[in-house]
Amino acid sequence: MAATAAAVSIGVRPSRSAGAVRAVLISAALLVLAWLLVLPLVVIFTEALRQGWSFYLDAIGQADSLAAVRLTLTVAAIAVPLNLVFGLAAAWAMTHFAFPGKALLSALIDLPFSVSPVVAGMMLILVFGQDGWLGGWIQSHGVQVIFALPGLVLATVFVTLPFVARELIALMQAQGSELEEAALTLGASGWRIFWHVTLPRVRWALFYGVLLCNARAMGEFGAVYVVSGHLPGLTNTLPLQVDQLYQENFSAAFAVASLLALLTLLTLGLKRWLEWRHGGARNGH
Amino acid sequence: MGIEISHLQRRFHQSIALDDVSLSIADGEFVALLGPSGSGKTSLLRILAGLDLPDAGSVERDGEDLLVLDARRRGVGLVFQHYALFPHMTVAQNVAFGLRVRPWRQRPRASAIKQRVEELLRRVELEHLSARYPAQLSGGQRQRVALARALAIQPRLLLLDEPFGALDAQVRVTLRRWLREFHRSLGITTLFVTHDQDEALEMADRVVVMNDGRIEQIGTPQDIHRHPATPFVSRFIARGQAIPVEVANGTLRALGRAWPIGGLADERIASIALHIRPQDIFPTQFHREGWQARVLNVRRVAGAVRVSLLLPGVEEPLEAEWNERELLGQAMAAGDAIDVQIQSLTVYGCDAQGRVVASKAFQPPQGASPITLGSWRRLEA
Repeated sequence: MAATAAAVSIGVRPSRSAGAVRAVLISAALLVLAWLLVLPLVVIFTEALRQGWSFYLDAIGQADSLAAVRLTLTVAAIAVPLNLVFGLAAAWAMTHFAFPGKALLSALIDLPFSVSPVVAGMMLILVFGQDGWLGGWIQSHGVQVIFALPGLVLATVFVTLPFVARELIALMQAQGSELEEAALTLGASGWRIFWHVTLPRVRWALFYGVLLCNARAMGEFGAVYVVSGHLPGLTNTLPLQVDQLYQENFSAAFAVASLLALLTLLTLGLKRWLEWRHGGARNGH
Repeated sequence: MGIEISHLQRRFHQSIALDDVSLSIADGEFVALLGPSGSGKTSLLRILAGLDLPDAGSVERDGEDLLVLDARRRGVGLVFQHYALFPHMTVAQNVAFGLRVRPWRQRPRASAIKQRVEELLRRVELEHLSARYPAQLSGGQRQRVALARALAIQPRLLLLDEPFGALDAQVRVTLRRWLREFHRSLGITTLFVTHDQDEALEMADRVVVMNDGRIEQIGTPQDIHRHPATPFVSRFIARGQAIPVEVANGTLRALGRAWPIGGLADERIASIALHIRPQDIFPTQFHREGWQARVLNVRRVAGAVRVSLLLPGVEEPLEAEWNERELLGQAMAAGDAIDVQIQSLTVYGCDAQGRVVASKAFQPPQGASPITLGSWRRLEA
């Protein structure tokens, strides 16, 4: 795809040899894509359905699998809105204000991208675990963080923190503050400016960021693995459930994995649809 | 009454954006802030709009402190260079914005807003485009929408930031005249920023020339063009050209001549600059008191004849400009030697910081009487 785009954008009529080069490049790109992306997807679904539809539905319908689906959805439903709010606030602050520590904040937003998720999980255990800095105090208040939902949410929030913020900061910085300033001189309050001027201009970027954030939140393995404790039916999210099933029941593992793969396909499809529908509108009109 | 700006000071890190800027604007006046980019004019505009605060100084409107009011409550209309229209709103929605966002007690009823928007769009001659989006308008139309939007809140001061900067030359000239007429019919106090001399001189009641964060001169367009108060204004507005000059023992030497000069007693004067404008050099038939000049090149542009001349005692060629009629059909070509007369030279006495402390415009040939530097009139105030 990249190769065709390049040939088109150069805008020269391809000569015979150029045509050959193009063909080679395109097939090379397609081959790599097929091998790395399409093939695994096909394998997942064929493996999942190898023992027939009834087995497939049984594997998914198991109590533990359903619990994993529920938990994954719950974690995402908490973590994604949190990061949506954080992303908006951070992007707003980074674009419209100059304040000490701005560069530091920018670096911190990127931190989860550069830290291994396992390390993030370990960090949570160090802080909230039984012997952690805050663990004892929190447990004495009857709250269980590690090996429970709060820990899973914290780990997921940490790992998916940059998605919304990064998407928005890039766009909002490119757009500048002029429209907000115009709205201000026209008498609009901060909230009004946010709802009527800023948000409409970034909504597709925001939606896109949320989509990516959600995909990652549901698919996260490393950080969640460390803080989960792997209690089937209790603290196993979908990826963890897949991992556990993989040790015991090969085909069932693929059946559950196919759910995650479906999610990926759905996200991809939504993204494509968004770009097709609002390609021109992502930067306003 | 009006806007009273006194001793504004604004720094950004190491650079000085505004350096002791004072200016008063009368009610209903149309004032141009003219200066090259980086001269501080936009900084001043942003402070007046409430988008920035000065480090020191005050701004009052009819005796009331304007700086304590934030941008929301200041009642200042601001039109941005790139229009800053809301792209996701129609023309009518853009214009209505300032009315819609009012707290509900002060918000006019929907029907009143609609009526006001229609009236404003009629005024800017865009009523037929009210359902369009900004992206579907031309630059000149967008500029007028921005103007209507700013006027919707009935501002008591209208600020225009390079209002024609992003338009092509023809639209610019049309819109200039239109805006001038518009202002006349509206009578609202207006301050507009521009770096275009023609624009400022053609449109404004008064022009404020800024450079390096300082006000160089305030005056009517004629005043500024005829009597530039500083070498900067002379260069920037009147295309004044510096001529090498030497002053010693009460004598000013330039152009191969010497003239007695007085008024140098002011000990602040650290340097002297001598300027000449293109229209102050003209050809003459009498070569008794004139200069012999060599023509380097001649360009004829729409009735004007622009000539580069080499004069004695000046290494750099000087630009002269005449109109075709003044030349009386005299042929002129590169390489010719011609006699020229100089109508006016301006001498500036500057202090160590380069600020003008005394100046004098004089006609050179009256050799005997001394040129006396008068005290410098910078502002009317």
